[in-house]
Amino acid sequence: MSALQTFLLVVEHDKEEAKRIAEGVAQDVEAKKTTLIEIVQQLGEYINDEDPIIRGKAVSFLTAVIKALPPRFLSRQQIQVLTTFFGDRIEDGGAVTGLEHLQALDRFTVELATETAQALFRNFQDLQSRSQTQRFHMGDESLVGVVDLMTGEKDPRNLMIVFSILKVVMMEWDISNHAELLFDSVYNYFPITFRPPPNDPYGITAQDLKDRLQECISASRHLAPHAIPALLDKLDSTSPNVKKDALNCLIACIHSYDPDTVSRFSITIWDVLKFEILNAQEEFLSDLSLDALKGITQRLSEGVSEVSQELPLAQFLKSITKECNEQLQEPQQRQAKPAQQILSSVSSASCVAFVLVVQTVVAPIFTIYQEADGIAKQRALLETLSVLFQSAVDLFGLWTTRKSEVSIENPLIEFKDQFSDVLGQALMGSAKEEFTFRTTALKAFLRLSVLRDFFQDNEIGLFVQYLDDILLKEESSGRGDLKKEAISALAEISKHKPRLIIDITFPAFVATLPDEDDGTNKNYLPTLDTLAQISVERDIFETLFRRLFGKLSILLQKEQPGSPAYPRAILMTLLYVMRQRKMDSDPSVDLYFDKIVVGLSQSVAETASGQGRNQILSDPTVLDTLGRLCNLLRQQQVAENVYSLFSPADNFIPVPFSQGVTADQERTIIISTYLLAGLSKDCVAHIPYTSPDMSALLLDLVQRAVSESAEPATHLAYLRHVALLANKFLSKQDLPIAEKLFDSLVSSDQQTISPEKIRVIFWLAKALVLRLALTTTHILNSLLDLLSSSDFKTSNATARGFAILLGEDDVVSATNGASIRLLFKQRVFTTVIPLISSRIRDVNITGSEGQAADHIKPAHLTALAGILSTIPPDLVMPELPTLLPLLLQSLDLQTSDSVAVRAATLDTLSVIIRENGVAVIEKCGHVHSLVQRLLKTTELKTSTGAVNTPRLRVESLKCLHLLATKQIPDAAQNTSIPASISPLLPEKALVLRSLRAVLDDPKRDVRKAAVDARGAWLRSVDDAPEEED
Amino acid sequence: MAEMQNSNPTILNVADLPTRNRAAQKTRDSIPEIFAATPDLVDFLSSDSEDDDLLEEPIDEQEIYDLIKYISDPEHPISLGELAVVSLPDISIKPTLPDVIGSPLQTVTVLITPTITHCSLATVIGLGVRVRLEQSLPPRFRVDVRIKEGTHSTGDEVNKQLGDKERVAAALENGALMQVIAKMMETCR
Repeated sequence: MSALQTFLLVVEHDKEEAKRIAEGVAQDVEAKKTTLIEIVQQLGEYINDEDPIIRGKAVSFLTAVIKALPPRFLSRQQIQVLTTFFGDRIEDGGAVTGLEHLQALDRFTVELATETAQALFRNFQDLQSRSQTQRFHMGDESLVGVVDLMTGEKDPRNLMIVFSILKVVMMEWDISNHAELLFDSVYNYFPITFRPPPNDPYGITAQDLKDRLQECISASRHLAPHAIPALLDKLDSTSPNVKKDALNCLIACIHSYDPDTVSRFSITIWDVLKFEILNAQEEFLSDLSLDALKGITQRLSEGVSEVSQELPLAQFLKSITKECNEQLQEPQQRQAKPAQQILSSVSSASCVAFVLVVQTVVAPIFTIYQEADGIAKQRALLETLSVLFQSAVDLFGLWTTRKSEVSIENPLIEFKDQFSDVLGQALMGSAKEEFTFRTTALKAFLRLSVLRDFFQDNEIGLFVQYLDDILLKEESSGRGDLKKEAISALAEISKHKPRLIIDITFPAFVATLPDEDDGTNKNYLPTLDTLAQISVERDIFETLFRRLFGKLSILLQKEQPGSPAYPRAILMTLLYVMRQRKMDSDPSVDLYFDKIVVGLSQSVAETASGQGRNQILSDPTVLDTLGRLCNLLRQQQVAENVYSLFSPADNFIPVPFSQGVTADQERTIIISTYLLAGLSKDCVAHIPYTSPDMSALLLDLVQRAVSESAEPATHLAYLRHVALLANKFLSKQDLPIAEKLFDSLVSSDQQTISPEKIRVIFWLAKALVLRLALTTTHILNSLLDLLSSSDFKTSNATARGFAILLGEDDVVSATNGASIRLLFKQRVFTTVIPLISSRIRDVNITGSEGQAADHIKPAHLTALAGILSTIPPDLVMPELPTLLPLLLQSLDLQTSDSVAVRAATLDTLSVIIRENGVAVIEKCGHVHSLVQRLLKTTELKTSTGAVNTPRLRVESLKCLHLLATKQIPDAAQNTSIPASISPLLPEKALVLRSLRAVLDDPKRDVRKAAVDARGAWLRSVDDAPEEED
Repeated sequence: MAEMQNSNPTILNVADLPTRNRAAQKTRDSIPEIFAATPDLVDFLSSDSEDDDLLEEPIDEQEIYDLIKYISDPEHPISLGELAVVSLPDISIKPTLPDVIGSPLQTVTVLITPTITHCSLATVIGLGVRVRLEQSLPPRFRVDVRIKEGTHSTGDEVNKQLGDKERVAAALENGALMQVIAKMMETCR
């Protein structure tokens, strides 16, 4: 009989004998009489036996042999083989002990441990599929083995696995006998202080480990008696991060343990968290603590449908509400606020909790309120009530939310009349300057008004009445915010109870609108403003439209209609609301189209032909607003009527090709332009004067635009009209028409080109560049040639035109279907900037040789500023080395003409600094020159006589401020940057000295900016960057 | 941190603190926003007029108050303004040399009201206010920070320390103290 067979026989009843046999074999192995391989081979027939007990014994034999070997006998390879073997056999008794022993050997490496752990992990999946009893039988031994195996593990990769394994163990196995052991095995790692090494070779973050550890600790309720006290202890730590981990873990436990367990510890937890919330040092800690309380309340509410004082929930809440009531006795003191937050958290957790809180809290608050000796105190109490109202809204819903299955009655109903009285009194009965008090009351009232099934309609109506009174009868005080609040409250109510707004607010407001603006007061503006903001709901908008359109129609019939500002304001009100609503899907859109687009366009035509009752519809601002309104109401039939404005030919002469028209008639082009903008591209065939092609129409409009007699508004309309035609409606084949037109405008023989003509040139260029016509480069070059014109006026007007090129426009816009290619800004930028830059360099080198060249440099800098102001910052950054010297030269301009250029430059600089920090400027080597120029721009009285307006001074101070605060750019904030000396340090003394003088600037805004900038330099510019914690 | 001396002080609402009423100055702002949405037709670079350019706005008590009201209390993350440690009526600006006509020198006096009469941090608060003002006011201003009479048990002692240039300078050399003060000023805006 072999040693193995003897072993199998005796192992169960005679442990000593078994051990002796194993030792014998071990000696043989040591003496090289036999090898491990042979032993393992011997095992062969037994370890595949069906009976798990025999398998276990066989594996135990091997384990016993290994145990008997001297510690250093086994080679690394042997250990590896054995580990793999045991790993594969882990489900059999004895394998774990074997692993345990191997692990204790010196030659057992980290890598092997990983392998072991992985083997374990693999096999646990098998375990899951095995029957409960079987698992149970082998449980204890393996469990302890597993835990021992993990002990002392430090490698994050392994820990990730270890935690996962243990989580499964804790969730699936009966751990009641080993809860503490298991808990200790994982809790040893708490708190995780792991920091990924440089380059992060594992891709494991501290958060990953924290999450897994947290899952372990919260895995089983058996851990609660160990985990909760331990975690609460950790809240005594001085490190906010440790406290944060402990709280997160606690919250996870609360959500994962069963309600009974949570209940057992609820009061203990409250006693500790109370301190964290009431004496909050860090806001995130108190927020987490509040989450934990809310979590407990929710867990304790599970399955509870009847309110009773016997509930564990009631016991828990009792201690909380008692504490809060005490704190609220002095509502102005610091701890009242956290008490409020506690009430908010627990009361919003469940309906039952809400009832319990309301029962104990509301009555005492009323008592303190009645006895309060000051309004500030009362306000704090109203805020607390308001917090409860919000919880009610969260739980019981709004009027507009679908009916929920809340079976419990809202406990606030009992106090309904009291609330109404107190809030009404606070809102309307207190002194007008008690602004914050009244606002608080207003907000609380609003919450109750939108709370589902709470107030009756007449009670909400009373509140609406109050709001109307505030808006209509009260004078705006210095802090006009109460009115703002009132408007948004009405707007909110309009979503829930539109009828009340239509019945109460509308009549009251419309009654105050005058028949005309006779110049005595502008009270109609705030009234219309309010109406606009509360009329977004469909029913209300219909009422608004009817009322306002009626007003407008009356105005148009009057001989003496007063100022056009009033009809314009009415139109703007309609415009504002229509923009807020989706007009396309409005069922009444045909009505609006008929009344506004057709009806009012006809009236415009009548007025232009001198047949109107008054001149309202010939006012350019009214026309502009009406045009925008027409633009929103789009229908295809507009195309034929763009110029005729829906009027018969014998009544009205359309603008194009007309001779000797009056300024009134010309002004209708404003409406035509907006109508044209609203048309889709496909309508081009229906637009008059466009066949066989557009050349005649374009030429006619261009000639009108070039004329110096056109009014500004009419002029702009012509420009936009031309641009729309060329950009949107001109087909690709016909594009040369516009390009030829452009060339003819540019290549004029006269030396001076009029500003009007230059604007036409730019708008035409804009139209073509937006669609990236083939000739784009040629167009841009032509513009730059004009910029270099030896004629000062031409060059100057061209310089200002560059902002038009890429600027956003309301009419030639994507919303109006203009063809705007994606990369047009890049194209313009990359074409123009190098040319401008080299031109300026030329001027700098040749100096003052050419007399005429004096204006060239400022003109180019102005053009640059115009382009930069219309370009997204990410385009600017790659060109920075070229741009920065130009920007610095822009700051050297001194005249008052250059104020806008310098302001735009400072704007660009501030964006550059904000996005990229000082580093990019240092890379270009311009820190000193930049700081110097900025400082010069902050000076009130300069030695050179430069004009620095207050705005320039403020802007340059802001740049200085940014320099100091953005030494490390936002994007790089999280990566570790090698500590180095700030490039700003050499400038520090100079900046601090110069800014000291700016502190005495006569302008307050400048002084404020100087204080901030100086503070930032004092604080942040240091030898070494500050350690971010 | 050591045990707090006053863990539950009374707090004023930020919205109730005195502020400069700026909205009233500019009539343009009072036009409701829906009418401001559509801009008038102005070109880029048309110089926007700054007509009140010449109007001088001298440094006044409100401005001093605005400089110091956001300093945080060393004990709480709450501002001195909210705690009513500094208040507008307790700030005054007077000519330093009333007899010399046209002298630009001015003295700012700030009286501090500690939240409790035995507050040992009163000196630190006083120093903080002083440092903030010295960093933020032009050199022609003299800064005088004192404890308001009758609000502190050892007010005279503290005042002596705050008024003594040498002792203030010595205190500011103290790294730990400067750290506390820097922390207090972080919330300034």
